[in-house]
Amino acid sequence: MIFQTIITGLSIGSIYALMAVGYSLVFSVLNFSNFAHGAVITLGAYVAWAVMVNIFQLPFLPALLISMLGAGIIAFLVERIAYSSLRHRRAPSLYFMISAMGMAIALQNVLYATIGANLYALPPVFAQDSIQLGTAVISKMDLFAFGFSILAIALLTFILNFTRVGTAIRAASHDAEMVSVLGVNLDMLVAVLFLLAGALGGMAGVFMGVKYMVYPSMGWITNKAYIGAVIGGLGSLPGAIVGGILLGLVEALISVSTIGGVPLSTYRDVFSFGLLALLLIVRPTGLFGRHVEEKL
Amino acid sequence: MKSRILITLILVAVLLSSLLSACKPAEPETIKIGNLVALTGPSATWGQSENNALMLAVDKINAAGGIDGKKIEIIAYDSRADKLEAVNVVKRMVEQDKVVAIIGPGQSGVANAVREVNNSAKVPLIATTATNPKVTVADDGTVVPFTFRVCFIDPFQGTVAGQFALKDLGAKKAATLYDIGDEYSQFLSKYFVEAFEKGGGTITASEAFRSGELDFRAQLGKIKEGNPDVIFIPTMQKEAALAAKQARDLGITATLIGGDGWGSPDIFDLAGPAIEGAYFVNLAAMEDPTIQDFLKDYRAKYGADPVLPNPLMSYDAMLWLADAIKRAGSTDGTALRDALAATKDLQVLTGILTIDPSNHNPLNKPAVIQQCKDGKFTYVKTFVTTD
Repeated sequence: MIFQTIITGLSIGSIYALMAVGYSLVFSVLNFSNFAHGAVITLGAYVAWAVMVNIFQLPFLPALLISMLGAGIIAFLVERIAYSSLRHRRAPSLYFMISAMGMAIALQNVLYATIGANLYALPPVFAQDSIQLGTAVISKMDLFAFGFSILAIALLTFILNFTRVGTAIRAASHDAEMVSVLGVNLDMLVAVLFLLAGALGGMAGVFMGVKYMVYPSMGWITNKAYIGAVIGGLGSLPGAIVGGILLGLVEALISVSTIGGVPLSTYRDVFSFGLLALLLIVRPTGLFGRHVEEKL
Repeated sequence: MKSRILITLILVAVLLSSLLSACKPAEPETIKIGNLVALTGPSATWGQSENNALMLAVDKINAAGGIDGKKIEIIAYDSRADKLEAVNVVKRMVEQDKVVAIIGPGQSGVANAVREVNNSAKVPLIATTATNPKVTVADDGTVVPFTFRVCFIDPFQGTVAGQFALKDLGAKKAATLYDIGDEYSQFLSKYFVEAFEKGGGTITASEAFRSGELDFRAQLGKIKEGNPDVIFIPTMQKEAALAAKQARDLGITATLIGGDGWGSPDIFDLAGPAIEGAYFVNLAAMEDPTIQDFLKDYRAKYGADPVLPNPLMSYDAMLWLADAIKRAGSTDGTALRDALAATKDLQVLTGILTIDPSNHNPLNKPAVIQQCKDGKFTYVKTFVTTD
């Protein structure tokens, strides 16, 4: 029972982690919470639906790559439309956040207006999905998603640490102004940043579409991922991963706990948000964070 | 001066002639019944069928001589399922048309909106498919004196599901998985638990999630521990599909049961084979043998299939009202109200109708059980609950 719960928690947490990385990546350089990330994830899932179900019947892997590319481009466009002029005017973080919320609502409503509120399923990757492991059951799709998430995050870490662009991004996360003074094209850098964050978001969207379903308000779940990112410390990649997985585990464990015979599953969000509040009191920067100012 | 006399004469003549014409033999007296129905707007598909079926019932009653020799006259107004529009037309029905009773509306919100108008005028109203409990019972728990309904209330589906699981599926242990943020889901689950425990069954787990959640594996894992025979999932098709998939992934083999929220055909796309074999409670089904004669008459008159369940409800409402008028021996609002409330064991189209005077809802109203089988909904049976 407890083993099964931990497996469930890990599989939910790994999706949170993948989404949380997108928040942290943008926050680390631009110092604001990109609330349009949820919409990018949703659109990524819709790209997958278009190429796997609606228009073409592509197999999973090519569809995944196309969706990642598509979501990356959408994230890049969101930056160009909603943030770049604010960035050039050196607007305060609050303006970015409001702009991001506006984009999130606008993109979601574009979906409602064009494709509609219908629910869609993406075809399963594995015909027989579960593997028996002692008394517990593991879903193959979960393992697959878990593996892919790790691979993607490893690739991201490699890009950040061993490429020129990555080095520039890391430098910019310390001091963006100094980096641009030193001759790095900041626009270019931010474009790469959003492409990467968007691609990871697209991947999360496709996994969500396969595991659950595709619908316009599916980006709602990114609220949880955002909490994961804050728990881990916004701006920190390891923090986002640990925070996301931790949140998934805590949620799963709370769901099956009882206090004095009262099941806690109905209080799940009370606990996860309570945990967040408590952590921010004890450790305002999150588990791995370093910025203290403007943590919005 | 002359002209003034002339005008006076003309006026007197006009007055006299109008008085005379009023003395002409009157049209044969009819019983006027209002029909508050959404003939246009988003609910029109059901509304049109609802009105058509009502006319079918009226034709039948009138062809058999009407009620105590008086013919029924239906005065139908389009509500567009709009609350404000409905209040206006109900005012017109009770003030100008002087209807003795109103059949409709099909929407709970509309029924609540017109409550004040028909109740202060003491004109009984029979809602057709308004399933929200608050339509006939006010917030303080008292019954709304002149409002009735012919359909069952939402939570009653939980009672049906509970008794069906016990009697027809032979279940001994059951679990529920419901949405804590949704009144429909919460009450269906509550009524299911009550019915199942009352019938001698054991509830092994009653797990909740919050609206918008997608992953129920933690809750399902806990449900699996109790090894229930059935799991009741009173949600819309989205959550039902997700829960079904996740339950099967976890190796849960229990039979799944739901409410009418499942009745959307995309459940098969969303859940795939996981939903196969599951049952759910619904208000009506085309295959229901008890309504086949009605369907034949309907097709003969209108050349198309009715859109269920509304037409069955308006048809039953008319039979019920006709019976009450006969028993009351008058069309006085209060006498009619008392007769409607005292209805017992009346044979109507969908079964036997008995009204609970304490809440103006039908007692043990027959419900339809459908099964998800081979990618479509199949009729299993018409289920009648027992007390």
